[in-house]
Amino acid sequence: MEKTEPGRRNWKQPDRVQGSAPGVRPIERKEKQIMSIPVTTIWAAILAAVLPLAAFGMILIGCRRRSSTSATLSIGAMSMSLACAVYLLATHGSAGVPLAFAKKWMVSGNLHITVGFLLDPLSLLMMVIVTAICFLVQMYSLAYMAGDPGFGRYYAFMSLFAWAMISLTLAPNLLQLYVFWELVGLSSYLLIGFWFEKFSASRAGKKAFIMTRVGDVAFLLGLLLLLAHHGNLDILNLNDPETTAHMRPMVITLSSLLIFGGIIGKSAQFPLFTWLPDAMEGPTPVSALLHSATMVAAGVYLFARLFPFLGHSPFAMTVFLFIGTLSMLMASCMAMVSRDIKQVWAYSTISQLGFMIMGLGAGGYFGGVFHLTAHAGFKALLFLCAGVLIHAFHTNDMFEISRQNGRRMRITMTCMVVAGAALAGIWPFSGFYSKEVILGRLAALDNPIWLLAGLAGAFLTAYYTFRLVFIILFPRPEPHVARDAHGGHRESWIMTVPLMVLAAVTLVLGHLERPLAALIAGGDSVSKVNGNPAWLPPLAMGLCAAGVLLAWIEFGRKGARQSGFVEQWPVLTRLFAERWYLDRFYAWLVDRVVDRGASAWCAQNDIRRIDGAAHALADSAVNTGRVLATWHRGLVQPKLMVMLAVFFYLTITLLF
Amino acid sequence: MTVPYTHVVFLSGMLFLLGMLCLIIRRNLIMMLLGLEVMLNAAAIAFVGASLHIGQLTGQAMTLFILAVAATEVAVGLALAVCIYRRTGTVDPACIEGDQCSL
Amino acid sequence: MTLLLARFPFLSALLVCCIGGLLLVLLLPAGKTREIKWVSAATSGLTLFISLYLFLAFDRNIGGLQFVEKRPWVPSLGISYFNGVDGFSVPMILLTGVVFFTGVLTMWDLEKRVKEFFAMIILLVIGVFGMFMALDLFFIFVWYDVSLLPMYLLIAIWGTTRKEYGAMKLMLYLLAGSALILPGIIYLVVNSGMGTFDLPALMVHAAFTPFQQKLAFLLFYIGFGILAGIWPLHTWSPVGHVAAPTAVSMIHAGVLMKIGAFGILRLGIFLCPAGWQYWAPLMAVLAVIGIVYGALAGLRQTDLKFVIGYSSVSHMGVVGLGLSTLTAEGLNGAVFQMFAHGVMTALFFSSVGYMYDRTHTRMIPELGGMAHVFPRASAYFILAAMAGIGVPCLASFWAELPVFIAAFRVYPILACIAVSGLVISALFFLRVIRNTCFGPANERFAQLADMSPAAQIPRMLLAATIVMFGLFPFLMYDTIQAATMTVINRLP
Repeated sequence: MEKTEPGRRNWKQPDRVQGSAPGVRPIERKEKQIMSIPVTTIWAAILAAVLPLAAFGMILIGCRRRSSTSATLSIGAMSMSLACAVYLLATHGSAGVPLAFAKKWMVSGNLHITVGFLLDPLSLLMMVIVTAICFLVQMYSLAYMAGDPGFGRYYAFMSLFAWAMISLTLAPNLLQLYVFWELVGLSSYLLIGFWFEKFSASRAGKKAFIMTRVGDVAFLLGLLLLLAHHGNLDILNLNDPETTAHMRPMVITLSSLLIFGGIIGKSAQFPLFTWLPDAMEGPTPVSALLHSATMVAAGVYLFARLFPFLGHSPFAMTVFLFIGTLSMLMASCMAMVSRDIKQVWAYSTISQLGFMIMGLGAGGYFGGVFHLTAHAGFKALLFLCAGVLIHAFHTNDMFEISRQNGRRMRITMTCMVVAGAALAGIWPFSGFYSKEVILGRLAALDNPIWLLAGLAGAFLTAYYTFRLVFIILFPRPEPHVARDAHGGHRESWIMTVPLMVLAAVTLVLGHLERPLAALIAGGDSVSKVNGNPAWLPPLAMGLCAAGVLLAWIEFGRKGARQSGFVEQWPVLTRLFAERWYLDRFYAWLVDRVVDRGASAWCAQNDIRRIDGAAHALADSAVNTGRVLATWHRGLVQPKLMVMLAVFFYLTITLLF
Repeated sequence: MTVPYTHVVFLSGMLFLLGMLCLIIRRNLIMMLLGLEVMLNAAAIAFVGASLHIGQLTGQAMTLFILAVAATEVAVGLALAVCIYRRTGTVDPACIEGDQCSL
Repeated sequence: MTLLLARFPFLSALLVCCIGGLLLVLLLPAGKTREIKWVSAATSGLTLFISLYLFLAFDRNIGGLQFVEKRPWVPSLGISYFNGVDGFSVPMILLTGVVFFTGVLTMWDLEKRVKEFFAMIILLVIGVFGMFMALDLFFIFVWYDVSLLPMYLLIAIWGTTRKEYGAMKLMLYLLAGSALILPGIIYLVVNSGMGTFDLPALMVHAAFTPFQQKLAFLLFYIGFGILAGIWPLHTWSPVGHVAAPTAVSMIHAGVLMKIGAFGILRLGIFLCPAGWQYWAPLMAVLAVIGIVYGALAGLRQTDLKFVIGYSSVSHMGVVGLGLSTLTAEGLNGAVFQMFAHGVMTALFFSSVGYMYDRTHTRMIPELGGMAHVFPRASAYFILAAMAGIGVPCLASFWAELPVFIAAFRVYPILACIAVSGLVISALFFLRVIRNTCFGPANERFAQLADMSPAAQIPRMLLAATIVMFGLFPFLMYDTIQAATMTVINRLP
């Protein structure tokens, strides 16, 4: 059966170099491990992933029209998933050895596709984050989406997302991760375009799908490259130093860069970040869940997941660091000029994800993951607060909210200030601690430019965050505009409870740095966490304070002009508001190059050349037929002529 | 017996050829019928000459047949030509089929 | 009982069932349209049932040829009535059963020349079933032509836009193909020196020289490739899709194009492995061009059916790419893609047909907001489009992924281009979804009714097939896998 011709099957050579076929080996290893995994663990992991899928199917088939049933189903499934996730974290969080379970799903030739789960501190932590925020957001949506005609559909899609995201988190191999990575993209598409009657919403959904797809193609190519050269996509196997020792550095670098393409797309990094601000067309809870806390963080999660493997290529790591830095700074700049409250948080999401990638790219595994955790909490909180305001005032414009006296929503505003402070990196909120860890890693790098960029980012973040906070908190007195005097906007408790829970998390999480470090990075790296130079925390705090102060001077204090320093340079303002002209460039690319260029050429080619050739062939057949038909028209004269000619010819040849 | 037999055969051959050319070249049914008549008459001359040359009367009998056939043929042919002319307004055989008057 | 089942000629039963249905339809008076529709539905339902039984009863562990029936037909010429199925043809027969049944149900509202329509459809399907199960070269050719000829009438009589042109173009292209296949068959049979048309016997015993294999493979590749929509011989396919009535589009794109790919597999690859290996790079290049080109050309179209027609060109490119890899993964993926694309495109045409029947337009700019008017029809449409994009957990994904994996190992650069085509196909489908289904409700169509439960049955069946094989691809791969190695092992 096995043939060994070099020409046809030489791509399988690496299999033989390593002795036994690695395509099979990890599966065997896992099958041995099944014995050691408790049955309850297996069931908890399966249930956590599959229950939302069941809810999705049941809502879609059975009760799309019955809103309360669908919400009950979805939230019920979600709470079960959350319980499973917490149970798993409690039972296996401290276990040193990662638990992997895989089952053959599809066999085709030499290709074995397995599904299963991988339980290690990282995936367990991410799973708890995902399920907890999913649960809170679904609760919140009860009030936010109440009365929407698509209520059942909304909960169906939310369950679809939860299924995909949990399965992505648990994936033990990159192929499964890719599958759910795509499904997460699908649910993002469906949820962004949830209000499909708005053209802008369906357009944003399409844009998000296409742009992440561009990244995903790179990701897929990276996987194909790994498969071709290594024959195995098992995450534990890839992270194993022995594996990388066998691979050529070129292949490692190339596949790292290609996989990073997927991260760029999903985590909205430069140059593919323009889909995320547009994705804010979706319902705000969706933005809170998908486009800040979980889905876009999947890119960073993938980075952390493959951290040991990606870390093998210094060149690739430098590229990651560069891209992260660039995205962080560019997005911060854009956030300074936006008037749309959700857009500001979207830009800040890009910037913070960039910051995480900087941390990871600088080799700070714990820093990246810690910031991911902290960010999930406070950014979801910021979006949910924005959702309350938008729900109450029916506008996204922060000046308009301020004018309508948004600050009277006290719980919301308090939570927003807490989350804003965390985002800005102010002690004692969670963001402060996680940023410190990353900045410490950056300070440890040889080149000081990364640290400078990180500090600049911290300053800008504090500035744009408090710009928004101050604008809403301190409305400009406009005497001639009638105030909304009755103040009838009550905050529904269904919406505020999730806010308060998240605010509490934001307050507490920072102080859990040590236990988290012990959990994520193992005991040995705890000591490194506090190895920052002593001058760094005061410096970072000082820059944050400067950012807040600048925002206060420009927007907060009495008689402030309420226009930022950037707006003094119209060119710069325009550049930021136009998103560095990247959108224009993509529009040009799609319109001119793809639509009117390649596509038009192909369509024309079909009509002109291919069909033209076919028609020419047909026409020539017809014409030949027409010419030949003249000999068969029943006319006597041509025939006589031939007869005569033949007669003469014969006469002449016979006689002479 | 002043005319040699070869002359007669040559005359009839030439007439036949002329008739045939007329039949092939002319674009008019009536002229084509005339050509046909000339060809028949050429054949008749050949028969008469041959019967004189051989000394049998069978050739002259054939000539009578030919005259009869020619008469009927002209009658039917002209009638058809008139008919065709009435229907189509033309006596050009190439146009009768409804195609363009090419060839 | 089991013995009885084991000896029962299911394959012939499938044909007999169709022929019986055809005769019944022909015997009924033309006015009794209700009865004719019921007879057709019963026939197609029975065939679906038998094909499902074949799919389930096919023993995946043994593989090889199963349900074999052999009777001499013209012994002096070596022609026999020889039927049997292997892991490649069982999925195709199931596909035909599904698409036939749903196609008949989709045309339930037909009023024009009902009797002739259903008779033609059944005749067409007889040819398709025969083609998939025949193991005698003579019968393969006969069934192939039987399946082609009714297409002309079906399109020319019941079609729409430029139907005569479309029907004629389709017919000429396909007959040109069959004019290449027949010489190929005769060439092989004569050169084998065995005087038989028996395909397995030729496979095992005939020793064709490499040159003979190369020549015959090229004939089969081009001849069947026309039907499979390989670039640049694809232009009949969008035009034909557009002109055909809904059910015919479904069968045409869903099943008939698969006959082309299946023919390349059955005749070209089974009989001429050396030719296959020789021409594989050409196949790969044409397939990749088809993938990218089909998606690009489709971007510009404004007629929904043209859009789907071009997407078929793109998706059939994946089949071609899989066949060209010369590996088990690629071959499996190609066969699975044939199945997945058949179901997907049938669902596509079915939902578009529903919209067209109600709104009387297929022009994308005139539609829009369909999700308000026809939420169910739009849902099926979107599902089909998602399958077309290659979203995981829908059948096409599991076809495309192994093909790309296999192709990347053999032709890395071509595979990169093909994978990049995914972006274009996503752009292509999402644009169509957005412009037809989304957006504000269209006033013109506000009073139109959405699908009734009865009209949902065929669409739901197709959607369920897509989702089921998307979630559980091993159900299909285990079957296909049973046939692959026999082919791969024959490679020189």
